[in-house]
Amino acid sequence: MKTIRICHLYGNLLNTYGDNGNLLILQWRAREHGYNVDTTIVSLDDPFNPDDYDLIFFGGGQDYEQRIVSKDIQHKKDAIISYIENNGVVVAICGGYQLLGHYYTSAVGERIEGIGAIDYYTTNQDGRYIGDITIYDEETGFTYEGYENHNGRTFLGENVQPLGIVEKGFGNNNEDKTEGARYKNVFCSYFHGPLLVRNIHLADYIIEKVIHQKMA
Amino acid sequence: MYLKRKLASFIGKTTLKTLRLLKKSGSSYPGKVALSVDKDVLSELAHDYETIIITGTNGKTLTTALTVQALKQKYPNLLTNSTGSNMKQGIVSAFLSHKAKKGEKKIAVLEVDEANLVYVVPHLKPKIILTTNIFRDQMDRFGEIYTIYQKILDGIMLSPETIVVANGDSPIFHSASLPNKRVFFGFNYQEDSDLQAHYNTDGILCPNCEKILRYRSISYSNLGKYYCPNCQFKRPNLDYAVTNIDLLTLQESVFDIDGHTFTLPISGLYNIYNALAAYSIASLMGISVEDIKTGFKQTQRVFGRQEIIHVDDKSLLINLIKNPTGLNQVLDILQFEKNPFTLISVLNDNYADGQDVSWIWDGQYEQLQDMPIQQLVVGGKRHQEMSLRLEVAGFKKENMIIAASIQDIIEHIKHAPTKHINVLATYTAMLELRKQLSLQGYVKGELN
Repeated sequence: MKTIRICHLYGNLLNTYGDNGNLLILQWRAREHGYNVDTTIVSLDDPFNPDDYDLIFFGGGQDYEQRIVSKDIQHKKDAIISYIENNGVVVAICGGYQLLGHYYTSAVGERIEGIGAIDYYTTNQDGRYIGDITIYDEETGFTYEGYENHNGRTFLGENVQPLGIVEKGFGNNNEDKTEGARYKNVFCSYFHGPLLVRNIHLADYIIEKVIHQKMA
Repeated sequence: MYLKRKLASFIGKTTLKTLRLLKKSGSSYPGKVALSVDKDVLSELAHDYETIIITGTNGKTLTTALTVQALKQKYPNLLTNSTGSNMKQGIVSAFLSHKAKKGEKKIAVLEVDEANLVYVVPHLKPKIILTTNIFRDQMDRFGEIYTIYQKILDGIMLSPETIVVANGDSPIFHSASLPNKRVFFGFNYQEDSDLQAHYNTDGILCPNCEKILRYRSISYSNLGKYYCPNCQFKRPNLDYAVTNIDLLTLQESVFDIDGHTFTLPISGLYNIYNALAAYSIASLMGISVEDIKTGFKQTQRVFGRQEIIHVDDKSLLINLIKNPTGLNQVLDILQFEKNPFTLISVLNDNYADGQDVSWIWDGQYEQLQDMPIQQLVVGGKRHQEMSLRLEVAGFKKENMIIAASIQDIIEHIKHAPTKHINVLATYTAMLELRKQLSLQGYVKGELN
């Protein structure tokens, strides 16, 4: 039987707010599509080889862990960028989303470096954006329901599409009606609670991308 | 100033008496009134008490109950806030309602909310502060486990004379230096091996060098005999330790602390930690081992936590679930159920449950697959997400019964195909279920 190889990037450090649900849903949908699933945690000091994986799941965490991941991921930066540029599929939530961009500012105002794989940056605010959220994905025509709880305010670069347009809730920054980011086969979002649990059609869409990439 | 405090205390006590005359409970309101007269009233009320504070995210209520039972063998009239009102006004109310007997040593054993420590410590000048553990809990309120720990530290720092009794198996409690005398308790009953915590666990980084901690043994979650593979950081020496686990069943735990055997009418490793914590306090307070044993045996199950209710010929075990670590511990306990059983899982997302139910995805429901579950009933406001979680864990959707209401759940209990029924319920779901069972005469008494 064919196998989908999942890289759970820093899975033992970034797993707050039920992010594990996204991983469980991806594994479940992959199996429903008739695939075996092989999941590997790639964490501090571990090498990342882009050829070893068909899907990266990159979750969110507490500021303390994210700060440590930010230092370590610089050693994996080139390999991750090469994976993304070669149309590798990535699902990144909250902290994982922020670290794929240029930088983010932590809740206490410290600048934490990302890898700049995608053109956006994140600042902090005094409060948090917490509550139910609904967005519309213009590319797929899907509507996504979710729950957001984030301090960061993300601003997308000119050539980066959002994952969806906010219909209800705060989204990336509570200004421009965008939520998350789409770049090649990378899916980023602030939804945890968790994104794919409440939007299984999106999980299936992502698994189809993975299968398509494997065929290519 | 002094008179104002006296007046605040008098008004608070009068409020309490009035409420009692009206047959209303006063677990919080009298404290609120007294505090409105003088915010320092607690200093007046507590000044000749020897106070013990118990805090942490999980296990406060039971650790407090066990400590009270152990200490009661020597101090039968001690003060406690057994109703779980663990914020400042609830603590003031507990002092207002306590009547010390003449000539008796005044002792207070209090469960205190993590964020309220800083408000009560300066007034109470506690002899002991015990920290049970810190796990992910109420993330919408605290954000991070490190924020919770900082709040606890801020409270402890206000009283350098206090003895800090901490769970030595929890790496976070060994990460900061304190001027206080420190005492550690932990588990020392497993053979050494070399392990890593489950990947979905918080707080596993070395506070010195930021590498991922390894373990010689793990009891659960991030608790165990940890060490850093890169630097000298490791679990501190234990002053009080569980040295053997003799028996764990669905109803009972038998274990050894420092070579003495104890029996607890409650299951679960997490409750053995609570007992060990209570033992540590009682030992520091000069209670004999025999008295502690007697006290533990007298401890009642805490309301809604492993509570057994008989419904006609069915035996119902209600387990409260509220955060991932507690949930995983309850799932572990269910492994002791050898009889075929009906599992009822009720998930609500009311304010008291936490409105973000994503934590169920951190629960290891997959292990239910190996249990003799004959029927599965799913209910609550968020039954859809609960049934999806169970489907992902390997249960077939067509084999699940969706209960539309609490009444519906009770009908399923009455008509269950098994004698044994295990319930996993969030806080408000547990209250609703208990209320309905009480209306139908299956439960005596209400929440006190």
